Amino acid sequence: MALIELKNVVKRYRVGEQEILALDGIDLEIAQGEYASIIGPSGSGKSTLMHLLGCLDTPTSGTMHIDGVDVSRAGSNKLSEMRNQKIGFVFQSFNLLGKFTVLQNVELPMIYAGVSAKERRERALDAIERVGLTNRVKNTPLQLSGGQMQRVAIARALVNRPRIVFADEPTGNLDSKTGATILELFREISEQGSTIVLVTHDSKIAAQTPRRIEIKDGKIVTESAEMEVTA
Amino acid sequence: MNLWLGLLIGIKEIWAHKFRSFLTMLGVILGVASLLSMFALTAGIAKGMREYMQQIGGIERVGIITQDVPQDQEGFSEISQGRTVADAEAIATCWPAVSYVTPVSELGTAALTRGNQTFRTSVAGGWPDYVPINKHEIAHGRNITFLDVEQARHVCVIGNLTTQKLWPEKKDFDPVGETISINGSPFVVVGQFTFYEREEDKRRRELGLNSAPSKSGRSRGKGWSPFERKNSTVLIPITTMFYDFKSTTMVGKEDGGPNYKLDQLSFQVANTDKIEETLERVHDAVSVTHRGIEDFGFDTRQEWADAIEQNIRNTRMSGGIIAGISLLVGGFGISNILLASISERIREIGVRRAVGAKGRDIFVQIIVESAVIGFIGGVLGLFASFGVMQILVSISPAENAPIVELSSVLVSFSFALIIGVVSGLYPAWKASHLDPIEALRYG
Repeated sequence: MALIELKNVVKRYRVGEQEILALDGIDLEIAQGEYASIIGPSGSGKSTLMHLLGCLDTPTSGTMHIDGVDVSRAGSNKLSEMRNQKIGFVFQSFNLLGKFTVLQNVELPMIYAGVSAKERRERALDAIERVGLTNRVKNTPLQLSGGQMQRVAIARALVNRPRIVFADEPTGNLDSKTGATILELFREISEQGSTIVLVTHDSKIAAQTPRRIEIKDGKIVTESAEMEVTA
Repeated sequence: MNLWLGLLIGIKEIWAHKFRSFLTMLGVILGVASLLSMFALTAGIAKGMREYMQQIGGIERVGIITQDVPQDQEGFSEISQGRTVADAEAIATCWPAVSYVTPVSELGTAALTRGNQTFRTSVAGGWPDYVPINKHEIAHGRNITFLDVEQARHVCVIGNLTTQKLWPEKKDFDPVGETISINGSPFVVVGQFTFYEREEDKRRRELGLNSAPSKSGRSRGKGWSPFERKNSTVLIPITTMFYDFKSTTMVGKEDGGPNYKLDQLSFQVANTDKIEETLERVHDAVSVTHRGIEDFGFDTRQEWADAIEQNIRNTRMSGGIIAGISLLVGGFGISNILLASISERIREIGVRRAVGAKGRDIFVQIIVESAVIGFIGGVLGLFASFGVMQILVSISPAENAPIVELSSVLVSFSFALIIGVVSGLYPAWKASHLDPIEALRYG
């Protein structure tokens, strides 16, 4: 069974009187260890898809399994648990907590996982080392550059050893050079065996992932895989 | 998420917004301070009143007072002679239900002299029972006796302050055996009463904290202090009072003849649980001497005591309500600030939800923050109340000095904590129900 499996997933929103069909019968499978991108223009439904995949929301209809767990009708607590145990998020605007240090930010997911303080610290330091920020553990996000902040966010996403990492426009707020290093970091992490899904509107960024899922008007329009490129 | 961590996050959040948190706490601080001060003040007043009550004879002391005769007796009320020594003798027959009785005839102000020292005070003429009824104790010498009364001897028992005034040059002087003059008549001092003071002052004096009477020991309200009045008591036999000072009463320039009417007539009930029965017996006895004329009544301290307790309860209640309202206002302040801070932190809440925080984790976090504000506010409020107490101590009469009881500290503090938790409920509920996606998009 694939790590992520979506069958005929539909998501409808109601905005006032109007009903919006954000996702219209999505079928999708993502395997363990894949490095994929979801690409589409704004309003295409890619963010909605990422919210569903990231267990921030549930589909209106259809089924969705993540790591063998049916989350299509999961309640709020179950979704929280899934996000905590199996999913890591990297956001465009980093979403670090400004009053906390780098170390504390990275420790955050483990707090909700009930990891002991000692282990939290060890694992957070490991993750920070992986993104190359060991010398900034005591800094607050405001004392870091954009690229460094995104690295902290990546460390935070990896620290609970998730099955899959979602990155929503991870280079959107970075200059192209820094963006490139972040993408490079994702590639390295992917090579170490993590499953990564990038969500982007930028085809150049999407081009760097072996698999690209293009979405338009709530439907997957094309899929391309270049498994041989990364081989 | 465990509570300890929630606590750390709460404290961190409060510390990050020190000034705002302080302003938020101010309501709680003032509320706790006023609640505790109010408790202390009423406790002080209650203690002062009870002490006063005790000093003037306690609830077992009953006075017989004159009162208007009923309408149907108006025409022939003169057949009663009013309060006389005969009443006291009649009441004495009620023993053992009545343990002590004394008639009292007073000189409102008399000049006491010793050498060139003069002290003006009131003089009471009574029976030996005057001493136990008024809770006096003899420190030196003896009480007056019935023999003194029978023979109308020129003897007196004086209070400590009287001694100090007449022998100002001598400290701790024992005046027994000395002769003083009262309105020109010589009297031998046969005894001296103990020095009466507040328990607190006594403790302080015994510990040697203040060799001189402490500042708080002095009465600030003139004439109120039961101690000052009691310490200047002068007691002589009632017969001596009558023969020396009451055998002529000048009305204008004419001698109105002797006036042996009493100024006071008091007795002590042996068992306060049987006060009603005792009063009935005394009433029957006195009715005989008054020839059935109902021109007297009882002045019981029980009614006083009830009125005092009622007053204390009322004061406590109204003060409590006012302080409670200010605490409540403090609570609204906390709610308000928490709601504002949640609006500021919607994105943070979104991030926490995204990394796996459950709704209840967020709920606990906000409640803990709110409780911590209540806790710190409560602690600071306790400190603040000691400041308020200092002010109260300096302005309230020494007899009513505020008393801080542990129970009031606990009540005030718990109230602050409860207010803290309760005022966090709505903000916490609101925060825990934020949609993670909306929260992440916010701002």
